[in-house]
Amino acid sequence: MNTRQLRLIGSMIVLLMTVTVFADTVADPQLEEHCLACHREQKLPDNLIYRRYLLKYSSPQRIENALVKYLEHPLKERSIMPAEFFLRFPIKYANDLSPAQLRELVRRYIDYYDVRKRLRLEKPN
Amino acid sequence: MEAKHFLSQLRILHLSDAPVLIYPRIPSAHSAIFDIDRHYIFGDFPVQPDLTTPPPAGQLQFRVSVDPYYLGAAWLLVRRPFDDTPLSALRRNISLFMIGGGVLFAILGYFLGRLFIAPMRESVEQMNRFIEDTTHELNTPISTILTNIEMIEALEKGNDVRDELDRIAIASRTLSRIYDDLSFLSLKHPYHREILEIDMGELVQERINYFRMMMEAKHLKVTQDITEKVILKMDMNDAMRLVDNLLSNAIKYNRTGGELHVILNREKLVVRDTGVGIPAEKIATIHERFRRANTSEGGFGIGLNIVHQVVQYYGFDFSVRSQVDVGTEVTIVWNTHARDRR
Repeated sequence: MNTRQLRLIGSMIVLLMTVTVFADTVADPQLEEHCLACHREQKLPDNLIYRRYLLKYSSPQRIENALVKYLEHPLKERSIMPAEFFLRFPIKYANDLSPAQLRELVRRYIDYYDVRKRLRLEKPN
Repeated sequence: MEAKHFLSQLRILHLSDAPVLIYPRIPSAHSAIFDIDRHYIFGDFPVQPDLTTPPPAGQLQFRVSVDPYYLGAAWLLVRRPFDDTPLSALRRNISLFMIGGGVLFAILGYFLGRLFIAPMRESVEQMNRFIEDTTHELNTPISTILTNIEMIEALEKGNDVRDELDRIAIASRTLSRIYDDLSFLSLKHPYHREILEIDMGELVQERINYFRMMMEAKHLKVTQDITEKVILKMDMNDAMRLVDNLLSNAIKYNRTGGELHVILNREKLVVRDTGVGIPAEKIATIHERFRRANTSEGGFGIGLNIVHQVVQYYGFDFSVRSQVDVGTEVTIVWNTHARDRR
């Protein structure tokens, strides 16, 4: 096995590892299309919003219900974010997704940011 | 404290934007966090635990409610190995102590109960004995009186009834003495004494004559050595009770045909009989009320108690010498100092 072949195999291993490590952080296409693309464009702090939902509602099911309820009729008064937040980020318009579609996307959103995926145990010394 | 530290670590993780969050560990324990619906979030248990199941044996479990829900955690579950050997030893020691204490208190209670009840029981027994003795003591002279009255009625006129009258007189005097003794005991506290100069020689002679018939009935040989003009400052009733009880005992407990010696001088009064005597071990307590040295004769056991009370009041010395089946000698020494003080 010559040097060129060894380099090729090494590159493939690195690529495979990179894909494995970042696989979880890559959003699925529907979520990207209906939610994240716009969020990214508006530079919405998704992490911050998710943390606030997590802090208030704790479980994925309760967060899902709260998010669906808000997104069906988005109002400042119903938002979990403080009033000052809307000085910088205007209130979004009601979407035209079907209820089932909305709920499914909310589920994927929660799964995308799910804190369980980030938690690790410290490696023993 | 450890849980508090753990929760502050959770807060830091919650606010972190790092892609990887290192779960905080509690030293020598396993922990896990659960959301508000009690679903497992994360933990360092070897096997995913259930919030609702009890801990396995040998494990100590803490379940702490968390608020606000950092990382979505509403519950914190902590389990750590628990060595229950000292606890078992403590339980065993407590059980042993309780059993030991219970037995000890039961024994103590039993003896204290007996100790406290003993005087009551003795008092009840004394009362019962007193009633029996009273019935018996009263019955004898009353029967004597009634029998002799019947005999007098049955005898034809002109017959000599002197003996029957004598027996009635003896029985009546016995009744009278019983009445005097009982009323002295029951009326002792408000009793008013009239202190007079009493010629004890005269009094002793008079009381011997009073008991003469009883002495003759028992065929006693009476010898007396009485000094004249022995003057004591006393209440007359007390003096009579003193002499009467000594003479009465000497007659009652004497044997038929026995001897009775009475000595009176300026130092003392001695009454000696040749009766049943008193056992040595009972002499020390013979003056206690209802105490009878023997039950050979009837009586309340109050005679020497009355003597003792009178002697105590006037400060006289009182001694008893006795030998079983030989006789008893009771000596009253007139304590001059005590006598003059009164």
